[in-house]
Amino acid sequence: MAKIPTDEVAGGREIDKEESVALLEGHKVSKSFGGVQALSQVDFAVEKGTIVGLIGPNGAGKTTLFNAVAGALKPTSGRVVFDEADITGFPANAVCRMGMARTFQVTRPFAAMTCLENVMVAAINRYPEKSKSFIEGLAREKLALVGLVDLQAFEARQLNVVQKKRLEMARALATGPKLLMLDEVLGGLNTQEIYQAVAFIRRLRDELGLTVLWIEHVMGAIMPAAERLIVLDQGQVLMVGTPNEVVRDARVIQAYLGE
Amino acid sequence: MAGKKQALFSAAILAGMCVLPLELGIYPQHVLIVSLFYAMMASSWNLLAGFTGQVSFGHAAMAGIGAYTSGILAVKAGLNPWVGVCIGTAFAALLGFGLGALCLKMGGIYLSLTTLAFSQILHIIIVNEYNVTRGTMGLQVPGLMEEYSKISYYYIMLAAAVLILAILYWMIHSNLGLNFRAVQNDEVAAKSVGVKVLRVRVLAFTVTSAMAGFAGGLYGHYLLLITPEIPSLDLQFKVLAMTVIGGMGSFFGPIIGAFALNILEEYIRIYGEYHVLVFGMVALVVARFVPNGLIGLWRKFRPMKSREAVK
Repeated sequence: MAKIPTDEVAGGREIDKEESVALLEGHKVSKSFGGVQALSQVDFAVEKGTIVGLIGPNGAGKTTLFNAVAGALKPTSGRVVFDEADITGFPANAVCRMGMARTFQVTRPFAAMTCLENVMVAAINRYPEKSKSFIEGLAREKLALVGLVDLQAFEARQLNVVQKKRLEMARALATGPKLLMLDEVLGGLNTQEIYQAVAFIRRLRDELGLTVLWIEHVMGAIMPAAERLIVLDQGQVLMVGTPNEVVRDARVIQAYLGE
Repeated sequence: MAGKKQALFSAAILAGMCVLPLELGIYPQHVLIVSLFYAMMASSWNLLAGFTGQVSFGHAAMAGIGAYTSGILAVKAGLNPWVGVCIGTAFAALLGFGLGALCLKMGGIYLSLTTLAFSQILHIIIVNEYNVTRGTMGLQVPGLMEEYSKISYYYIMLAAAVLILAILYWMIHSNLGLNFRAVQNDEVAAKSVGVKVLRVRVLAFTVTSAMAGFAGGLYGHYLLLITPEIPSLDLQFKVLAMTVIGGMGSFFGPIIGAFALNILEEYIRIYGEYHVLVFGMVALVVARFVPNGLIGLWRKFRPMKSREAVK
């Protein structure tokens, strides 16, 4: 029973590569802050139409990897390929226009703007040539999708944490993404809300055809939701595999629980 | 509905502004002309500080650039003042572009300090380059018209102010305005949803500098004497106080602030230097009790009124 799953997965990935269905790929992505090596030689791939979980203990480099991919940080070395284009070091606004949207671990709404305006900002930069009524309609549609349409006239600072997370989701969706990058969207939610949120994210994939890269600490949620998990530890890829493979892996257990 | 009401209200004010000075003497006309200059200054500074969060102290300096460029060209090269004002506006825009690009990576206090330094350097140059600028003596420049007429200047300033305010209104209510506010609220988040943050910031700097240059150019040719008072920190802080007291981040706030403070200044002028003290105290009281300015005060009480009306 003590088989090592990584070989199988690595084999599977090679086949994927030949079919070129990977929407996002990282090749030896590294990032250091002064003497601290936050990411070292991270290789990963996210296939089109999948939900991929990015997990790992605190300080493993998950959010740093997000930032390096989405343009908030420039990787020190390595390559990031999105939708068959090399986007290494592209600024966040350029990456966004190519179809990559993200949420933030600590939410960053436009606090002094209404919910509707928050989402409209995303929409106008995706569809700059469209009329105001189209943009407003689109923004309302996205707010309705996350269940915030009743609060559209409220300023974002008036929302609670859960609502702010939903608002960020609506804002990300209004950029018309191919890839949705979620950074701990379930933090602070109760069991019922987690259940709804997971169902919602699965619906986005199934109905809108989005690809999802998802950092999550709530294991009970990410395990059933994701097809594959990438486990980071100390800035390196510890393993890649299906949730079942990952939970049984001795190295993963050790990384989380220690010796 | 609210938009229609607002438009009607603005049209009424504008009509009043067209007719009013005909009934007034020379002195009140002068006060209104100066107020219109400040309305342009405060409103354009508000776009920069209140909408993109870049608190620049170089706005009066840009007005000075406009005034001195046009004035020097008229005096030394005999250029038509109208053409001079256009060149001054363009030069202010160019410097605004440069200053904006210089301050790209800066935020908050660093941007303020850099623009403050720019403003002081310009002031020193103007005071010391006596041969070109006549230093603190001031540069005598020709007027915009052959014959001096207060009322004509009034209408020119009114038309200029309406033009500037119309452009500002359009910018604030277009997609650009949303991008401006997004940048002010959170640059990182704005970038993540596709806002070209650097372009937005430099654009705001360039456009508002051009507006200050335009206002300064016209103002100089109205005063007929351009002194280092225009590109001074005194004027800069007056513009700042007008914006904050009127209501930063709103369209009408700075206009109200400009007229209120400029007219107030005429009443307290007899106290000499103490009028600055009164300004400071007004700003202090507003900052403490009505942080959203006069416009915020009005907004606060308006819904109560309408609720009473329903009863």
